[in-house]
Parts: sequence; C-alpha cells; structure tokens
Amino acid sequence: MGLLGRITNFSRNLFSRRKLDHDLDEELQSYVDLAADAKHDRGLSTEDARRAALVELGGAEQVKKEIRGARAGQLFLELLQDLRYGFRTLRHNLSFTLTAVCVLALGIGANATIFSVAYGILGRPLPYADADRVAVVYMHYFPRDFEFGTLCIRDFLTWRDNDRSFEQPSLFHTARMDLGGTEAVPQQVRGASVTAGFFPTLGVQPLLGRTFAPGEDKAGSTSLTVLSEAIWRSRYASSPSVIGRAVTVNGTSSTVIGVMPASFQFPRRDIEVWVNLPLNPPTRYGPWFYRGVARLKPGVTLAQAQQEINNIAPIMMREYPYYKKLTLPILSLRDSLLGSSRPAILILAATVGMVLLIALVNVANLMMARATVREREMALRLSLGAGRGRLIRQLLTESTLLAMAGGAAGLALAWVGIHLIRVSNPGNLPLVESVQLDGVVVAFTVFVSMAAGILFGLAPALTCARTDLNATIQESGRTGASSSRSTGRLRAALVIAEITVSLMLLIGAGLLLRSFVNLQRVTGGFSAPPSRILSVLISPGNRKYNDPATGIAFYNQVLERARHVQGVESAVLTDSLPPDRQGDADTFSLEGQTLPPGEINAIISSPTIGPGFFHTFGIPIIQGREFDAHDNLKSRPVAIVSEGFVKRYFPDGNGIGKRIRQSDVNWMEIVGVVGNVKYLGLTADTDSAYYKPFLQNFDPRMALVVRTSVDAASLGETLRNEIQSIDPGVTLAQIGTMEQTLALSVSQPRFDTMLLGLFAAIAMLLAAVGIYGLIAYSVVQRTHEIGVRVALGAARSDVVRGVVRQGAVLAGIGIAFGLAGSLALSRLLENLLFGVGATDWLTFAAAPLGILFVVLLATLVPALRASRISPVEALRYQ
Amino acid sequence: MPSTHLLQGTLDLLILKALALTELHGLAIANRVGQMTGGTFAVKPGSLFPALHRMQDAGWLTSEWGESENNRRAKFYRLTPAGRKQLQAETREWKTISLAIAKALESN
Repeated sequence: MGLLGRITNFSRNLFSRRKLDHDLDEELQSYVDLAADAKHDRGLSTEDARRAALVELGGAEQVKKEIRGARAGQLFLELLQDLRYGFRTLRHNLSFTLTAVCVLALGIGANATIFSVAYGILGRPLPYADADRVAVVYMHYFPRDFEFGTLCIRDFLTWRDNDRSFEQPSLFHTARMDLGGTEAVPQQVRGASVTAGFFPTLGVQPLLGRTFAPGEDKAGSTSLTVLSEAIWRSRYASSPSVIGRAVTVNGTSSTVIGVMPASFQFPRRDIEVWVNLPLNPPTRYGPWFYRGVARLKPGVTLAQAQQEINNIAPIMMREYPYYKKLTLPILSLRDSLLGSSRPAILILAATVGMVLLIALVNVANLMMARATVREREMALRLSLGAGRGRLIRQLLTESTLLAMAGGAAGLALAWVGIHLIRVSNPGNLPLVESVQLDGVVVAFTVFVSMAAGILFGLAPALTCARTDLNATIQESGRTGASSSRSTGRLRAALVIAEITVSLMLLIGAGLLLRSFVNLQRVTGGFSAPPSRILSVLISPGNRKYNDPATGIAFYNQVLERARHVQGVESAVLTDSLPPDRQGDADTFSLEGQTLPPGEINAIISSPTIGPGFFHTFGIPIIQGREFDAHDNLKSRPVAIVSEGFVKRYFPDGNGIGKRIRQSDVNWMEIVGVVGNVKYLGLTADTDSAYYKPFLQNFDPRMALVVRTSVDAASLGETLRNEIQSIDPGVTLAQIGTMEQTLALSVSQPRFDTMLLGLFAAIAMLLAAVGIYGLIAYSVVQRTHEIGVRVALGAARSDVVRGVVRQGAVLAGIGIAFGLAGSLALSRLLENLLFGVGATDWLTFAAAPLGILFVVLLATLVPALRASRISPVEALRYQ
Repeated sequence: MPSTHLLQGTLDLLILKALALTELHGLAIANRVGQMTGGTFAVKPGSLFPALHRMQDAGWLTSEWGESENNRRAKFYRLTPAGRKQLQAETREWKTISLAIAKALESN
C-alpha cells in the first residue's frame, strides 16, 4: 500500500471513528446472527443457538478493543486521549500543577539561560573564517613572568624568520588613539596597530573598501586607516565616500581605506580603528606591547605549532640574553578572547544543572506522593482491564505535559535572563553578544523538558504499574499504602540526594562569597574614598604638545582649571591608576648592584606621576617625601619606590639616598618610600614599583585625577568642559570614578558569586520543600499510629521529637554525603578563589549548620501538626 | 472440532487463501478455513475480526456490505490486487519454510 493509502486509512481511522465503531458493531451483530442461524439449522433451539453464538464470539467488547488496537493511528488516538485526560487531571489538582510547573520553570529557565551563556561564549562559531585554525601567540619569560605576556618587534621578526607552522605571522597591539579630521572635533578612540597579515589571517571581508595589502607594513609605510562599522556610522554618518578621505591619527595624517563590519571585533570588542603597523627596524629591545596572530598551515595542529614554535625560543634567548626560560605560549582564537572566563562558566553550568536535578527530584517526589494517593485509581483501572503499559504511558504523558508547561515557562524566564545578561553584562563577560535565545537554546530547552518529564515521571509510573491489585483494593484506608514502604524509602533517598546537592552548592557559594569579601577588602593600596576620586584620560591631540615645554604648560593649565572647579580638593597627573591600569613597566638597575652576566632585574610597574599623587590617593608615605614642583628638568633626577621594592632590593631596609636607573636613562636618587599599590588588578601579587616625576619624564598622554569633597561622578561634565576650553583639539576618554573602576574590576567574581549564591538559595529552598513534603506526608500517613500512641500516654514532646528526628536523620546522611562530595569537588573552584582555601573550614562548618537549620525548620511544621493530633479523631479517621 | 493453536502469521495466509476464489463474509471465512484444513484449524471470531481489519488497513482486503445466502446483512471481504500478491508471496515463503522444517525433522 502506498503512502497515500496509509494516510487515507490513518485519517479515516482518526476522523470517522464513530462511523467505524458503528460499522464494527453491526458486523459483529451480523456474525452472531449468521452463526446462530447456522447452529439453528443444525438442530439447536433458537435460543440455544443464539447463546452458543455469543459464547463463540467471546466478550464482544474484548474483540472490539482488539480490532481498534489493530487500526492504524490507534497509538496517536490513545495519545490524544491521554493528553486530554492528563490536562483534566492536572487542572483538577491545580495547586499540585502550579507548584510543579513553578519548580520546573525555575530549574529549566535557569538552565536555558546559563546554557545560552555557555553555548554563546564557548560554543557558537566565531565570526572569523575557520576560527579554530587561528592562534594567538604570546611570550612568557623570566624575570617578567606573565604567563601570557607580550612580545616586542624584534621578537616578532625572529619568529617570522624562523616560523614553519603558520601561514603568515602577523603582529598587533592596541592603544588609545586620537582620531581627528575635518568632519568633527578630534576624539579618543580605541585603536589597534596591525601588520599586513592581520586581516587575511582572520579572513573577514571589509564592509567597504579594502584592508591592508601585503607590504603595507614595511618600514616607512604611509599611515592607512580601517574604520569599524560603529565609528563609521557615528563619526562619518555612514558615508560611502569616506574611503580615500584624509584623517589624522595621533596627529599624523592617514588615509581611510576600508570599513570593517560590526561583527569584526578582534582583538577587542571596542576597537574603532585599525592602522597599519610599519615594521621599522627597532633600535633596541622593547617596548613589549605586541601579540602575534596567525593562521595554522593546512594539516598543522595547534599542539604541533606549539611544539614547532618552542624551537624558536632558544634562538630568542640567544639573541637577547636577558630572556630567561623563555617560551612562546599559543592559544586558540577563542581561548585568547575568553581569558579566564571558561572555568567560571563551566562551573556555573554544572551548578545550574544540579539545581535542575533538585527541581526534578522535587517534582518526582510530588508525583510519587500523588501516585500513592492514586494507587486505588490505578488499581481500579487495572482491574477494569487497562493494560499496565497503557497506564505507564498515561502517567508519562501526564509528567511530560507537566514538564513541557514548565519548559515553556522556563523559556520565558530564560528570555528575560538572557536579555538582562546581554544588556547589562553584569559579569563583564567576553563575547557576550553571541549570547542569544535562538534555535539551539530552544532545542536544548525542549530536550531538557522532555528528558525531565520522562525522568521524573518514570519512577512514579513504574511504582503505579507495580500496584498489587488485591492488596490495594482490599485496603480500606483513604490512602492506599501497599507499596508505600518501598516508595517511602525511594522518596527518602531522593530527599537525601537533594540535601547532598544543596550542601555542595551552598559550600561552593560560601567559598565564592568569602573570596569575594576578601576581594572587597583589598583596597588597591590607597585610602581615599573611591566615590571621591574621578579620573579622566587626556590626549592633547595636537602634535605641538609632544614638546615637553608646551606639553607641561598645557598640563599646568589643566591642573589649574581643575583645582578651581567647585568641589575639587586636589588634582594630580599620572600615567597609571590603581587597581588595574598600569601605565608603564620596565626593568631597572641599582647603583652598586652587580648582577650575573645576562641577568636583569624584574620588569615592574614604573608609574610617572605629578606632585601630590600620594596625597590625593591617600597612599602612605613611609619615608622621605613626595615629588614636588621643584623636581623638574633643572633639578637632579629623583625617584620614589614602594615598600615592597625596598624589602626586595635593599636588604638593609633603607632606600632613601640610593640611586636607581631605568634602562640607560639618568641615575635617579630615591627620595621617598611609599606604601604598596596594585596596578595589575586586585588579585595580582605585585608590590614592587618605582615612580618617576612627570616634570622629569614628560609624556603627552596622562590621566587627570581629582579628589573631591562632593560625589565625584557629578563633576565629570564640568571637568570635560574646562579642559576642552583650553584647546578644543584635546580628546578625553574613560571619565569615571574609582568606585566604578573598582566595581568593574570585580564584576566577574561578583557575577559568579551572585549566580552561584542564587542557585544555592534556590537549591536549599527546593530541598526544604522536598523534606517538608516528605515529613508532612509521613505524618498524615501515621496519623492513626500517632493517635494510638498519644492515647496510650505518649507526651506531645515525644511526638514532636520523633518527627524531627526523622528529618534530622535524613539531613545527617545528606550532610555527610555533601561534605564528602564538596571535599572532592571544591578543588575545581580553586582558580576562582582569592584569599581563601578550597577547603576553608569556616565554610565547611557553616554551610552544614545552615542546611541543618533549614531542614529542621521544614520538619518543625509537620512535627507540631503531629503533636496536635487528637487521639479521638485519629482513631475515627481510619 | 479438533483445534490447534494457529501459528503466528499463518492466520493471514489462511484468510488470504480462503478469499482467493470468491468474496466471503466473516463466518463464511471461518467455515472455509475449517473446511480447507480438514477441521485442523478453527478460527475464532476473537482472532478473525482483528485480523480482517488489520489486513484491510494494510490494503490487502476491501469490504462491502451485502446479502448473505440466507438474506441477512453481512460484510463481505474480497482480495485486492495487493492482497493477491501478498498471497503469492506468503505461499512461496510458507512452502520454503515447511520444506525446510520437514527436512530438518527427517534428518537423523
């Protein structure tokens, strides 16, 4: 039979069911008539013949059922029936349904949200051609010791000349740049300088124009500019005629040659211009600003490339003996974009999975409690001839229906969650724009919901189907309890599992919380209130300010105007800002220090600061003095070092009067020792630094920092206007308070802590509901027994104690498992922790107490109810 | 009437065979099967009717209401071309199997 015939049958069976049934009735009737006739002919009386024929037919209903079962599409019909019945049952038990749907929505919604984050960031293909074939190249060496440190141009040339694994080694670095031109006032933009191989490596076509051609990174190349789509739209009004236009970048004239689409966001999301990087022959080693990027040659794996590039390291060390233990770590493009986010995201995903598990256990528990109540219904239906398979199917339909409702509500929750994460990006997550609610997320949610429905439906369904007919029907109690002993044990096990998992989550959240509190306590080394410090990056734009005399005059004017703004207490210049904006870092030499040949001192933060820096930030001056206005080009060069520096480099503990030199510059006399300040993030263990006075080390790009007597955020606009009124060509960027900077620097740990805390709280709540349900149910079941005991003289307190003990035993077992699990797993959190061990005893002691408290609270309600059971009623009840 | 449990799958073949010559109603099919097998197989309505409906769904049979030999309304079944083909195929298969089994039983 062809497909058409099958469909005809199927639809006939579905849509003319009544007619078919009628037809069948008639057919069977006619059979009986004919058979009776035949038997009558053979000599039986009419009545006997008829009876014999009926007997021969057997149960007419049985036959009909079998015929219906054989029809095409029958399964579908039964499914419809089950669905209808399921809907009715769920509607009749509205409070059960709502509870279950809410619990599921919470679990599934949280999972769909975190899944979309994890998939968006870790899994979604990057918008670059064959992105997994692109690698980013770093340099790691001592004494600098940054695992993913940067290279200088000479290192790049060595790599390029010796490379064998990559198609076209290329180099890039990012910097703030001034973009000017006739179209508008200059503005500071986030820019990248890149060699000619950069764009071909990433393989993205420009939206407009072209990218850099081979050779356009040769020494002395003219400056060319590629714009981002965003700045093309905002600054150039999306004009196609921008190609070929002359602009100025950092005061140098440059030609716009192309526009990249918005999806192109390498090496950073906020890059607005890419300029060509001319590989002028470097006169010395450094500055170490650069990272490499290149595409693997066909057939070469990342691991092979890593091995190959390791062979270049000895060459680099030979060429520059300062490098010690040098390696060239390479990362895939995605890993380089992710930074340290991967473990946190994976942990969140695992955590949220556990929450879902608890939610499922809870719903399974609810279903099983209900299944026990429904035992009689099931037994009745079995005895009326329903097949056990059919009953299981019916129950699974119900649970799947429930799960789908939960899934739909969960998807709505996820939509809100994803929207929030995309809009505000509270965790400062990389690649957040790839986090979206799309087909993959919906498919995941549907899959999870279906799996959930089957998972939590199966246990109760099987229990039901095992129902012992006789026992149940003979049972006179309102709640049939024939299988409740094994069911009860299973439910207790589920509750123990809930407690175990909640405790593990709670310990995880506790560790993160402790670590976050520690992080909050880290001050960065300054005592000025963060809300009273405002900073702004200044770039004078015009090249004339590159001359120290003009530049210093300009900055004096800036300071002058800033100090006159109402609410400003002090104003100061710096190129570095705590907690994580290191301006410059370099090695140094100390007078009288003899290093083994080829050794250099560590490369450490070396901020350039103006007079009053330490006072403004509230950084303690431990010895000597601050820089003042007299430390200028006419006076002897001076420096200030940090406490940590003295400790490490001056065994006699005294730094004042000693002399220090940055590479081959003048010797500077140390005139002060100050407290340690963090310039590489709050968690970094960096305390050595040497400071140079601005007036002796002029740099045209500085940050202005003001300490205010009012809320610093309110002064931003005034300061901007004041500074730009000196010269409209001046560009400003990153106006913000220290409070905002600090918040941003801890945003990812805060996000992790918040989410894990939230998940732990949900888990605990669900576990409490679970244990409450179990105990309350067992109290109801034991009403009779408790009544008898009270009647026989048991004290109320004995009853309460008995019930509470039941909960406490479950909690105890769960806590034991949970502690063991946490000890085994908390090591995974180690990378996310700061100032607290993965087996912090305080957390490991407090979390179980918290769980115990919640469990006892959840037990107390039914316990008190049990104590109020009146023996008279209890005995009547059965 | 001695009765033997029908082998799984043989009922279909017997029904097809019973309908090979002419269209018949349910009782007549049962009688014809009994007659064809010399009374070895007695088809009970409890298995006959489900089989008939299943085979009709499969497209091997068609049915229509008609008059029985003693003027009662009855549903008559007839082979479709697909049913005829099925009969040939099943007959061939059955012969192969029964031959093989006979051989197996005769071997020492």
